[in-house]
Amino acid sequence: MKHLRSTNIRTRLALWFVAILASILVIYISAVFVFQYVLLERQIFHDEIQDVETVEGLLYFNQSGSLQLEEKYHTHQQSRLLEDRLMEVRDLAGNVLYRADTLKGETLGGSSLPDEGVHSYNERSTMLADGTRVLLISHIHPVQGKPVLIRLGYSMAPLHDRMARFFLLLLLATPVALIAAGFISYSVARRALRPLASMALRAEQITVTNLHDRIVIENPDDELGHMARVLNHLLERLQQAFAQLQRFTADAAHELRTPLASIRSTGELTLQQNGSDSSYREAISGMLEEAVRLNQTIDGLLLLSKAEAVQADNGSTSFFLPELVHEILALLEVLIEERQITVLEERENAFHQPLVADRSLMRVALLNVLHNAVKFSPDRSILRILYGNIEREGHIFHRISIHDGGPGIAPGEHLRVFDRFFTSAVHQATAPRGSGLGLSIARLIIDRNGGRIYFEENVVSGAKCCIELPILTDSLPKIEGA
Amino acid sequence: MHAMSSMPGHILVVEDDRRMADTLVSGLTNKGYQVTLARTGEEAFFVIHSTQPDLVLLDLTLPQRGGLEILAQIRAERLPTRVLILTSHNSVDDRVTGLNSGADDYLGKPFSFPELLARVSSLLRRLPSAPRSSSLQIADVHIDTKAHLVNRSGTPIDLTPREYDLLLYLLEHRNQAVSREMLAKDVWHETSRFTPIDNVIDVQMARLRRKVDDPFPTKLIHTLRGVGFILREPEQ
Repeated sequence: MKHLRSTNIRTRLALWFVAILASILVIYISAVFVFQYVLLERQIFHDEIQDVETVEGLLYFNQSGSLQLEEKYHTHQQSRLLEDRLMEVRDLAGNVLYRADTLKGETLGGSSLPDEGVHSYNERSTMLADGTRVLLISHIHPVQGKPVLIRLGYSMAPLHDRMARFFLLLLLATPVALIAAGFISYSVARRALRPLASMALRAEQITVTNLHDRIVIENPDDELGHMARVLNHLLERLQQAFAQLQRFTADAAHELRTPLASIRSTGELTLQQNGSDSSYREAISGMLEEAVRLNQTIDGLLLLSKAEAVQADNGSTSFFLPELVHEILALLEVLIEERQITVLEERENAFHQPLVADRSLMRVALLNVLHNAVKFSPDRSILRILYGNIEREGHIFHRISIHDGGPGIAPGEHLRVFDRFFTSAVHQATAPRGSGLGLSIARLIIDRNGGRIYFEENVVSGAKCCIELPILTDSLPKIEGA
Repeated sequence: MHAMSSMPGHILVVEDDRRMADTLVSGLTNKGYQVTLARTGEEAFFVIHSTQPDLVLLDLTLPQRGGLEILAQIRAERLPTRVLILTSHNSVDDRVTGLNSGADDYLGKPFSFPELLARVSSLLRRLPSAPRSSSLQIADVHIDTKAHLVNRSGTPIDLTPREYDLLLYLLEHRNQAVSREMLAKDVWHETSRFTPIDNVIDVQMARLRRKVDDPFPTKLIHTLRGVGFILREPEQ
């Protein structure tokens, strides 16, 4: 069987089917064979007993004292059949009194056994001198007052012959049936699997250029239809991811090109003019600034790919969210002081479960959000930070909302602010320019930690960024700094 | 002339990119170092064995022999050469691999030249940086490093701890440009490469200048646009 492994499923199905069918047939045939044999043997035994009783009535001693069988018996038409009966009669001393012609002078069953035929018919199998198997029964019966031992047997040869023919027939018929079953199951399997081939053909033709193509579903309710649906969903996700990737590549190229273009044109212009030392200095400084911007964009892209690849529970530690926020506020303190922003922290409820996450990535995420909030806050405004817990889908989440007093988010941009390289169409003129990656990095990191980040839409003024992070209630690693 | 030119130093630059190599050689030569250039791993081996440079600036991606192989060889032969890895493979893993194989320092491309100079000079200072004297001075600014007190022309200047650290760092790198990356790493101790704290640094620097420079006629802290900052002794 080993070398057949590599063949296709329908062949394998057919082979399996044939193998199972063959073993069932073998078991079935053996059982039928044994049953039939036993049944026929019982039948012969039964016939013999009847025959003994018939014969008993026909035995008599003639005048000379020798035992005879009434000859008129043989004239009966139905008794012709019994002419192959083998019979021997002995007296109780073991002397043969009568021996049927069919025995051709041979003994039937050898010398007498003790108590033979006393209680029952003493059924046994014996063999004649010529090798014929005989089913023999013995019975003691008085003939004219004198008890004699009657032995009567039928040759088993006809039964064995019949059974051998039966067996031969089965031997010939079974392979034919198996071959037929094999062909039928092969074609049934092929028909059942035909949609698979067409699905494979279709899927094979789907490449980067036609990701929008879908597999044709013949019967949506069967297993193959389910498979096709799953594949179609996979294709859809692939298509979306691919489109996102293409958009991202285009955006990234644009973002990288803009500073490059600026560097290039500054260099070209400066070389063409006969400028002063200080104008050269000015040009080179501008080019360096753009180079720094380029570098920051590339670092941001690398960080995105790092956050994208981050595995859950990898490098996770447990820490307290407010403590991390304070660390970030301390870093931004100089900006907050300079702009005379008031930071108000409020706690809605007890907030003492630690968070389990990659702290350095979470710090980047929160720094981006807080930094953004500070950047957009006008002088002498208030920045509110609210901590709380919420329950959603049976899990407890930490929620931190950061509400700034800035210009807020333009309608319809609440989701788009998280897009990579997003710049608002409304506030562009006033907004300080960043790499445009900060919030998408924050969202990616928070998503990867099973959390959620969004800007609340119905706020009266400013922008309110909410971050929800799941709290793991069991198996906490050690608390950092505890 | 500044203090650095008096410091001896033979530097081998192992770099296959021609423009990068030229920039490194001319920048380091300008600072008074004796510089040799090797463009391949084979050349680097030859120079290392024939001249025993004090410092090797090693690019990790080289034709023929990789940078890590050269590094391993230097360490296996127990040469007293210091190694600074320069590479554009910037992930933490690469950094760890580099440092684990015996590099003394690691700088990711693109780096700022002032930062490279700072690293080079600190690596060539064989001894762990000379015991810092208890008082530092530039022009009329005095820093008492024990008491963390600063005065200029006898007027005490009240600085926050961060401002003090910043001034001290500028003073330790006097007459050298200091980039924002260096400040983020060494003064703010921000390890992540992507932490957009440039405006934090700028505001902090503005506050420091308000205290140290603004009340006085001679300005010491200067902004180098596109590069960073420099604390420079006034021209006499």
